[in-house]
Amino acid sequence: MKLPGNKYWKVKMRLFKNSTVGFFLLMGVLAFLFLLDLLSGSVHISLYQSISTLFHPSSSDPQIAAILFQFRIPKAITAVLAGAALSVAGLQMQTIFRNPVAGPDILGISSGASLGVALFVLSAGWIFGGTPLFSIAGSWSIVMAAWFGAGCMMFLVVMLASRLRDLMTVLILGILISGAVMAVVSVLQYFSNESTLKSFIVWTMGSLGSTTRDQLWVLVPSVAVGLLVALFSAKFLDAFLLGENYAKSMGMNLRLAYLLTFASTSILAGSITAFCGPIGFVGIIVPHLARKLFHSPLHSKLIPATMLMGAIVMVIGDLISQLPGYATTLPINSVTSLLGIPVVVWIIFQHKKIGAI
Amino acid sequence: MQEDIYIRCKGVSIGYRERSTASTVVKKDISLHALSGEMVALIGGNGIGKSTLLKTIAGFIPPLSGELLVRNRPVSDFSATELAREMSFVSTEIVRVANLTVHEMVGLGRFPYTNWFGQLNDNDQMIIDRAILQTGLSGYENRPINRISDGERQRAMIARALAQDTRIMVLDEPTAFLDISNKYEIVRILHQLVSEQGKCIIFSTHDLNTSLTMADRIWLMLEDRVVEGIPEEMASAGYFDWLFPNNQHLRFDPERNDFRIKREKYGVVNLTATGQELIWAKKAMERLGFEVKTDPLVSPSPSLPVSQSLSLPVPQSISIDVIQLPQGWNIIHSGIFHNVATLEDLCRSIKKITTRPGS
Repeated sequence: MKLPGNKYWKVKMRLFKNSTVGFFLLMGVLAFLFLLDLLSGSVHISLYQSISTLFHPSSSDPQIAAILFQFRIPKAITAVLAGAALSVAGLQMQTIFRNPVAGPDILGISSGASLGVALFVLSAGWIFGGTPLFSIAGSWSIVMAAWFGAGCMMFLVVMLASRLRDLMTVLILGILISGAVMAVVSVLQYFSNESTLKSFIVWTMGSLGSTTRDQLWVLVPSVAVGLLVALFSAKFLDAFLLGENYAKSMGMNLRLAYLLTFASTSILAGSITAFCGPIGFVGIIVPHLARKLFHSPLHSKLIPATMLMGAIVMVIGDLISQLPGYATTLPINSVTSLLGIPVVVWIIFQHKKIGAI
Repeated sequence: MQEDIYIRCKGVSIGYRERSTASTVVKKDISLHALSGEMVALIGGNGIGKSTLLKTIAGFIPPLSGELLVRNRPVSDFSATELAREMSFVSTEIVRVANLTVHEMVGLGRFPYTNWFGQLNDNDQMIIDRAILQTGLSGYENRPINRISDGERQRAMIARALAQDTRIMVLDEPTAFLDISNKYEIVRILHQLVSEQGKCIIFSTHDLNTSLTMADRIWLMLEDRVVEGIPEEMASAGYFDWLFPNNQHLRFDPERNDFRIKREKYGVVNLTATGQELIWAKKAMERLGFEVKTDPLVSPSPSLPVSQSLSLPVPQSISIDVIQLPQGWNIIHSGIFHNVATLEDLCRSIKKITTRPGS
């Protein structure tokens, strides 16, 4: 049967009709950008040098090996993890709240993670008289404090926002929650002593590059678990697309679905916030880019797509933040905000036309 | 076909539990049932609790008290998946997920049958294709649901419920927001499912006419009680007059299976005509507020008394005769004779007559 307008859809769908091809393409782009990220920085390392160092570390210049293995590779891996984690967290939140501007930073999940860390670092100062911030045990306790804070905030936001499908209400709610959290953090800082305050301030200045190799041993498994949980809840998230009532009527275990997505979002957003500090807007914009490219709202496609594209976007952000030609780097949060805000404005205008996610 | 009781409410109270102690009761003491192979229309005014009742039956909110049986088993006994295999639901809410194709959405209906990752096997694909065919959406499989018409989207929602392969389907106002053609198409599809597959379909509606002509059973929610029965019994028992007790201007017209606005009669018109002329002239005069006497054998008497119950200052007595050559109408009113050619002129003349001077 021939239908009016059918041709148009066929043309549009062809772009990424075969999503496997799309995934391989994205992986190629990511690999290229990852390599580019290793090459860029204040010390010039050539492509040949870096490849030979990667494959024969013992027979190469120890200084270059140190730069690569101690700084650039951990930083690039962190960028990949942060992009994937924040984007998938954002995707899950957009589906659960059925709101195109939901994301870990907008809805205060990242602030919740900060609050968790603040409470832990500053109270550890009172209890232990100091914080073992930079040991492996310290990393685990910080990351768990961040999960806890993010989880509590996620719970609070769901209680408040699950019935608000209006875009603006959710944005206002996010502003209020973030404001409240920042106020609490300031009060905590006011009451804490100098040394704990200092270790907290150092933590808040976190960036992609501040993650050490040891901390990666905490970050990699955390993000892996969060992403796996997200992949395993793809079917639940698909059902959520139609709304809670439809999901229920199709026999979805609502409690299990919420628990899985809560856990995944809190772990993903919490871990990244714990090690890199707040990174805005990636979580909102990447899911939209993935939807645009893959033309599907189904999560079995969208979660891998969002992971790959999140990693790509974050590595690009890292490349830009290094300001090619200058010795200094920009804070990653500023880069993502400058790149992300126009996209968010575009999403808001699109939303008026298209409807929900 | 063996008739089974698919839904039975015994003294059910519906409403929302707010805390462990407090709850808002929407309706008390509801006793209803629905059989296999029955299309049940749930009728009631706005805000009377139709949606709450449907949500209770679909298992979204537990009944506050009483017994709700689905295929002779308490609804609380079912696991979520078991209930989803017995009963599907279509809500009144419009789903506008961007880029979700009709096929993908219908596929979501296989949720209670698929594995953890929601993979569709050949059997699932077959059921999805059948559901799309039954709702007349063949050729629309790859169209995104946010870019099809409201009627097509509603049929896609029904196809999703069909793919869920349940004996019972519950639909909350499936024909709201639709034009007449789409409305009848939806009702036709539902009727076909009931008669061909013996499903039990419960839907709420404000369209009295369709439900009284198509439904096998009416659940009627009134202010003080909920009653059920087959449409004709409900109408003859006069239940529909209680549907809108606060509106004095509405009257249930059993001939039309619908409500009409009560109007005061200006007077009586004696109409002499046959066939199409009779039908349309009668309708026109009734619209203008006249009682029409149409016995063509009785010759019109020029001074028929107006019924006394009406408080009209000027008694009106009008006779209208259809004439063939030239085609038109003769109007006789208090001895004055008019001739008009068209129905529109006829209405204009009658209006002129009945417009009281000075008012």
